[in-house]
Amino acid sequence: MDKLTALMNRAVSRRKFVAGVGATAGATVVLGLNGCSGSSHTPTPTPTPTPTPKPVVFTDADVLNFALNLEYLEAQFYLYAATGAGLQASDLTPGSASTYQTVGTVTLGDAAAVTGLTPAQQDILNEIAYEEQQHVRFLRSALGSMAVPMPNIDLSFFGPLAVAAGITKTATGDGSFDPFDSFDDFLVGGFIFEDVGVTAYSGAAGLISPAGVAAGYLTAAAGILAVEAYHAGYIRTSLTGRAIAAGSATNYPQLGAANLVEDLRAMLTVGNSAAPSTAGSVETLLVLPTSISSPSAIVAADPTNAVGFARTVNQVLHIVYGSPTVGVGKGGFFPNGVNSVFATTTA
Amino acid sequence: MANQDTQILDEVIASGRRKMLALGLTSLAGIAAGAFASSAQAASFTDDDILNFALNLEYLEGNFYYLAAFGTTIDVANSASTAAGAPKITLSGTVGTPGTVTGGSQVPFSTVQVGSYAVETAIEEGKHVQLLLSALGSSAVAQPAINLGTSFPTLAAAAKIPNGSSFSPYASDDDFLVGAYVFEDVGVTAYHGAASLLTVPGNLTVAAGILAVEAYHAGLIRTTMNYIDPQGTGIASYTNLISALRASLSQAALLGAAPDPYDTNPDDFGLAPFQVSLGGGGNVTATRLTDADQTNVIAFARNTTQVLNIVTGGGAVSNGKVVSPAVGVFFPAGLNAGPNGFR
Repeated sequence: MDKLTALMNRAVSRRKFVAGVGATAGATVVLGLNGCSGSSHTPTPTPTPTPTPKPVVFTDADVLNFALNLEYLEAQFYLYAATGAGLQASDLTPGSASTYQTVGTVTLGDAAAVTGLTPAQQDILNEIAYEEQQHVRFLRSALGSMAVPMPNIDLSFFGPLAVAAGITKTATGDGSFDPFDSFDDFLVGGFIFEDVGVTAYSGAAGLISPAGVAAGYLTAAAGILAVEAYHAGYIRTSLTGRAIAAGSATNYPQLGAANLVEDLRAMLTVGNSAAPSTAGSVETLLVLPTSISSPSAIVAADPTNAVGFARTVNQVLHIVYGSPTVGVGKGGFFPNGVNSVFATTTA
Repeated sequence: MANQDTQILDEVIASGRRKMLALGLTSLAGIAAGAFASSAQAASFTDDDILNFALNLEYLEGNFYYLAAFGTTIDVANSASTAAGAPKITLSGTVGTPGTVTGGSQVPFSTVQVGSYAVETAIEEGKHVQLLLSALGSSAVAQPAINLGTSFPTLAAAAKIPNGSSFSPYASDDDFLVGAYVFEDVGVTAYHGAASLLTVPGNLTVAAGILAVEAYHAGLIRTTMNYIDPQGTGIASYTNLISALRASLSQAALLGAAPDPYDTNPDDFGLAPFQVSLGGGGNVTATRLTDADQTNVIAFARNTTQVLNIVTGGGAVSNGKVVSPAVGVFFPAGLNAGPNGFR
């Protein structure tokens, strides 16, 4: 069965995943961002020297805590969008044995309950907010005394991110991107996170130790992975369906905005990670189907085998920090970094 | 990439999973004798057996979507499948008994949304078949007999869908969505249940990736049905009936054994809204676009007997015992499997 691995060209032993944080890396991938007209990028493999390795020793708790940082971010975003308030205080506290003992704060920016929702849309926001909130609670419960507290989270980063992506020219105020402004803009905001959540859990699955597998962590992670993919399927279906209903990409700029987000995510991870998916890009651009016989692009997966992507810890950090630079430990949605042994990008 | 250190790590991971699996099966066998055919069988199955089980399900899904989107089976190209770029699958699997696909026809789609989703999904399921066939090589099972015609009204009637005995998923956009709903969440639970059984780390990652794709599909189907019927009075209400049937078939296949932690009873929810508390506030209404347990919001996992019982409409269990091969509904002659495989 090693052939499956070979076919996918993404051997993902524990060691390979850790490659992002230490081991010898193979070829990295440079994504061509120009002329991306298809449903996926065309990668151009380019051998790149790897920075000096700096091994990170980690435990299963470290892997789960890394996921917890991401769930804090997602939960705060969706809860503010659905209700105008965030996680309750008791969901933010550190476990007694955690290295991190300071509860962070949320910089709100434009964060507020999304206005103008239909009852059906409000119910959907409620569902996603609830599900991410429960993921925070589940991971905190599984980690017990080892749970990290919520780090500082900056929900005003959507504006600068949209500028970096080329969606808007202004980072704040009039003309800036505000995912809390309307249902359609909310979809773009959610889009930033959802495919990343799927790939982060895919990448993390291989980091769990045999003992952790026996303890059920792998099954739990796979189950959360599935839920993140349900959410991503929801977001991508909504953007695609509403663009079809609007009649054209021009009439529905959120579709193009989402694809600019994909380009940005790809750009942030160019040449700096020994990714398990170096065989190809880990992005699938949305398309606007023009007839009943042309395919949509709801699923984000590799175009050859239709297998979902995985991202390394480093790739995830480059996206949420909004920085392609190696050696960066904070920024973007996490102004003081994530509470994690993985906090600083090493590749 | 591979060095001695890597190989040792991989072996440690592999043996750890295998050990857990052995423990799980021992306890299952202790609680419900006959839940698996024999302990000897259980102890000797391989990644190939698990992937072949998945391949049977992908044959089923692939043919359903190809027929709905293109009006052909996965092994026969026609102008519609060629125009869409869908792969023509060479049925290279030889293990077991080859069968034919019966029933099914191209859906006269009326909306771009649903038509384009069908085309996309067909292509992706076809690629899953191709990938598994290629990976399994000479170990791959043949495509078994698959019923995509009378199976649907049988299931629809069992689920108590109005006029279920005359239901066809090929009649309209809405009916197609109902048919697709029957499969998608099941695929998620099957791959989820299989994930921790795989012993080769590379296989785990591929399985996780396919799990993600099945969940994208499931999210797509549920979202679309919710948009079409937000009040839950039409097709969205059918999802509750189908999920209830799946949950009861799944529960029956446990035969009293303790379920997986992420296999609660019921282990399936339709689109009916539920009440949630956000940030410690009072209850509000939420949709159910995700099929997961209500407390931890982790997708359900099912073992192979549970999945078999669903896709055969109860064919895996009779008189308190596991029946093998499980026969019925979508698989009139059962699944194909190697000597130690799951059928």
